[in-house]
Amino acid sequence: MNPFQYVSPRTVDRAVSLAADRGRFFAGGIDVLGEMKEYIASPPVLVNVKDLPATRDITMGKGSWTIGANVTISEIEQHAELKRVFPSLQQAAAEVGSPQIRNVATVGGNLAQHSRCWYYRHRDIHCLKKGGGTCYAQDGENKYHSLFSGNPCISPVVSNLAIALAALDAKVAVRRGKEEVKLTIPELYAKAWENPEAHHSLGPTDLILRVQVPDDGRRSAYMQISEKANFDWALVSCAAAAKVDGKKLGKVRVVLGAVAPIPYQVQAAHEFLEGKELNDDVATHASEIILKDASPLAHNGYKVPIAAALIRRTLRQLVG
Amino acid sequence: MPSWPEKRDVIGQRVQRIDAPAKVTGAAKYSSDVQPDGWLYGMIYRSRWPAAHVTRINLDKAQQVPGIKAAVAERKGERTIRFYGEELAGVAGTSKQACLDALRVIEVEATPLPFVVREEAAKNPDAPRVWPEAPNLGEANVKEKGDVDKAFAGAAAVVEGFFTTPVQLHQPLETHGNTVSATDDGVTCWASTQGIFSVREGLASYLNVSQEKVRVLTEYMGGGFGAKFGPGTEGGLAARLSQAAGAPVKLMLARFDQSLAVGNRPSSFQRIRLGADADGKLVAFDMDAFGTAGIGAGTSSAGGGGGAGFPAPYIYTVPNICVKQAHVAVNAGEGRAFRAPGHPVASFGMESIMDELAVKLKMDPVELRLKNDPSKVRQKEYAIGAERFGWRQKYKPPGSSPGPVKVGVGCAGATWGGGGRGTQAEAQINPDGSVEVRCGTQDLGTGTRTLVAMVAAEVFGLKPEQITVKIGDTRFPPSGGSGGSTTAASVCPAIMDTCTNALQDLQQKTGIADARGANWAGACKKLGVNPLTAHGRWQEGLSSSGAGGVQFAEVEVDTETGFVKVRKILCVQDCGLIVNKLTCETQVNGGVIMGMGYALYEERVMDPATGVVLNPNFETYKLPNFADVPEIEVILMDMPERGVIGVGEPATIPTAGAIANAVANALGVRVSSLPMTPARVLAALGKVKKPGASA
Repeated sequence: MNPFQYVSPRTVDRAVSLAADRGRFFAGGIDVLGEMKEYIASPPVLVNVKDLPATRDITMGKGSWTIGANVTISEIEQHAELKRVFPSLQQAAAEVGSPQIRNVATVGGNLAQHSRCWYYRHRDIHCLKKGGGTCYAQDGENKYHSLFSGNPCISPVVSNLAIALAALDAKVAVRRGKEEVKLTIPELYAKAWENPEAHHSLGPTDLILRVQVPDDGRRSAYMQISEKANFDWALVSCAAAAKVDGKKLGKVRVVLGAVAPIPYQVQAAHEFLEGKELNDDVATHASEIILKDASPLAHNGYKVPIAAALIRRTLRQLVG
Repeated sequence: MPSWPEKRDVIGQRVQRIDAPAKVTGAAKYSSDVQPDGWLYGMIYRSRWPAAHVTRINLDKAQQVPGIKAAVAERKGERTIRFYGEELAGVAGTSKQACLDALRVIEVEATPLPFVVREEAAKNPDAPRVWPEAPNLGEANVKEKGDVDKAFAGAAAVVEGFFTTPVQLHQPLETHGNTVSATDDGVTCWASTQGIFSVREGLASYLNVSQEKVRVLTEYMGGGFGAKFGPGTEGGLAARLSQAAGAPVKLMLARFDQSLAVGNRPSSFQRIRLGADADGKLVAFDMDAFGTAGIGAGTSSAGGGGGAGFPAPYIYTVPNICVKQAHVAVNAGEGRAFRAPGHPVASFGMESIMDELAVKLKMDPVELRLKNDPSKVRQKEYAIGAERFGWRQKYKPPGSSPGPVKVGVGCAGATWGGGGRGTQAEAQINPDGSVEVRCGTQDLGTGTRTLVAMVAAEVFGLKPEQITVKIGDTRFPPSGGSGGSTTAASVCPAIMDTCTNALQDLQQKTGIADARGANWAGACKKLGVNPLTAHGRWQEGLSSSGAGGVQFAEVEVDTETGFVKVRKILCVQDCGLIVNKLTCETQVNGGVIMGMGYALYEERVMDPATGVVLNPNFETYKLPNFADVPEIEVILMDMPERGVIGVGEPATIPTAGAIANAVANALGVRVSSLPMTPARVLAALGKVKKPGASA
């Protein structure tokens, strides 16, 4: 990697101003160091955000939980009360990387991580996402790529937490310039849908501070299918959340991961499921609505049946 | 002829590796841990083009990077590059970062050339030629026997299939590399190798120095799987960098480099037709196959076996056959010997078509094998394995398991040569009773050091931990490369002979009729001041060749997601006289796990547009983790009358075929391409949407 300055500010103001000149925020380092080692990114300054105040706690508030940006993935995985309230979030955390990675990777880093597309991550390929002219995956090796995209880059979002948090209607507190803004998960990734160079909607000095997850009594579930049993990226992931009254669903969210540059959800499916009693036909129909616009490429069509299966299974788990 | 003792106290026992404490505590220094005084980091500059004509390499700026002590071109003059990652130059410096910085300022003038990285595309006569003088598709080797057409015409059942296997990468935990100190006085090389003497030969010839000036050391090394016999381009560059810098240079490849230029198991595309009579007796076999070993057929790798050919119809005898096999060159790193070269490829295709035949004949797959397998040993192993596995209860008609997650079972067989010869050794008995046994073999992680101690302990009536074993040094009596499952069969007889000679000498010198065991210390004391040394060599009669082995697999397949989970592998393995039951089982476990990786996960992915390897890392080149590993049950057939044979390779051969048959049994359709990923399983089930199709 290229030389860089390493700074450890104690205030958010200072962190944001230090990152202003092409700097990158640094917490667990799993993502940014990988990019630096491959010379995909060569920031002149790394701003360590791990020492920022009030970013390492998991706290229960009135009607919601707050998770600091520097909480590690293992801390979520092993938090007994979180597991009870948001089983989907705990499961999504447990499926991240390996124990070693989960011990250092953070919530903020997981949400803000960059594409894992093997063209993007290759040191000698200058692809569309890196500012080049071509998405090589479109006509190339695209078995890990998106079924849906609003732009020619088809690298999918791979944050497990984003999928679970989207279904839970979480909000992400972000320091943007002088102010703090609260983004929904769809807002956090919206830019990646339309802009091939974007991994999410965060600007270079936008800093995730914490995540707020409403505890509104909904049940939740998360599942993923990978090529290996563990320490592997999801081919497709799915999170679902709903109020469950007997078998009747309310306030339903179903979100797919690794199939689009954003956590993928379809409003029509949520409306269809609202107030329905879940059975196999209902679950199947919901999966059809969600996958209606899928446009498979040469090698990723298999993700459609996996997604359909995961939608049916997560919904079933909610009422099971 | 010498023979192994009838009553064995140590041989055949379960003995923990004598170097286990050193390995577990980190005291063991692997080749990549060695740090001679003043050592420098070495790194390789590689081609970014899959094909190019290079006219100039300018190392001036690299030489000026602070900390850089040497930079050398891999060869002089203009050259043609034939794959992405081909070595162009090397640098040595005082830090990793200095080397990385230097690599980024090397200037290369080159004209890119057209390239092709896919086998099917490379076969096309219009495809860019990897070697200008010949078409990519070589002439097929043809093997014919009997009258195939007539035999097929008269066959009661004929099945056909098309099977493909991927290019598999050697991924030892310790990457390829050496630390080399080359001075006018001589060359010392700490090599991560399977063959210290082949590294010595390679380095001496590369540097044009006499072999007696070159010493190669391999105290501990982290695996090779067939790709680590010579010094490699990386070893040659390390030596030249050391000469240029006047300091030792450690050049270990990064995992990225490991995926490009140091070998692989060639791919295969096998079209097979198999015919049998109504009783299930095979009558006709027809195969048209090709595969790639990249830019080469593996001829330049010592140890051999890196080509794209493989045995067919593998372990079966068929009276009428027609086999055509061709190699197709592509712009990618060349094949090298890879744990049982050719055999897992052969086993997967042949055992798959055997099960198709069993289905067509409505015959139990084990029964079909018993009818056709000429090996008496495997016949016995099938019987033992089927009983232990519960085959009769578990085998159900294909696809008949209820529910979306289906269970299936399968089996497959293997054959391997093993055997070995030529090792020499020496033993030194000291007056205080301590014993040193020296042998120029190397332990590539299989437990060779422990085998040496066990054989010596058996002869002397001592315990293995009382023997000091010195191996991995070309100053010791010579032994061969650790390849072809030959190490145990080559080394153990030599140790037996050496130690028998030493014991006889001791008894003669001291007048003690039996100096073994309880008498040992007293006898040694009688030696006075000087130790006793004795030599010995491999002798006929203590080893043989020809190992078999069969495996049974039980899997569950999720038909909605395509995920395959292996529940159990049962391996029944013969390898002659078992020396160390524990490390023998460990070899089998490792073979099975590697075979499972081949079946389900591993595949080098080349990008047709850019010519690069897209998965040069463990993130996307997927290897089995512990969570993936099934229950593995090993039944060893101890056959002391056959002497030592070797077991490193046979156990990895039938795993993929057995798993593929189990998956086919579960699904009722066959996944005919490895690795059997969810994508391929769903495709076989007809569940995958075609591009452009609407939901």
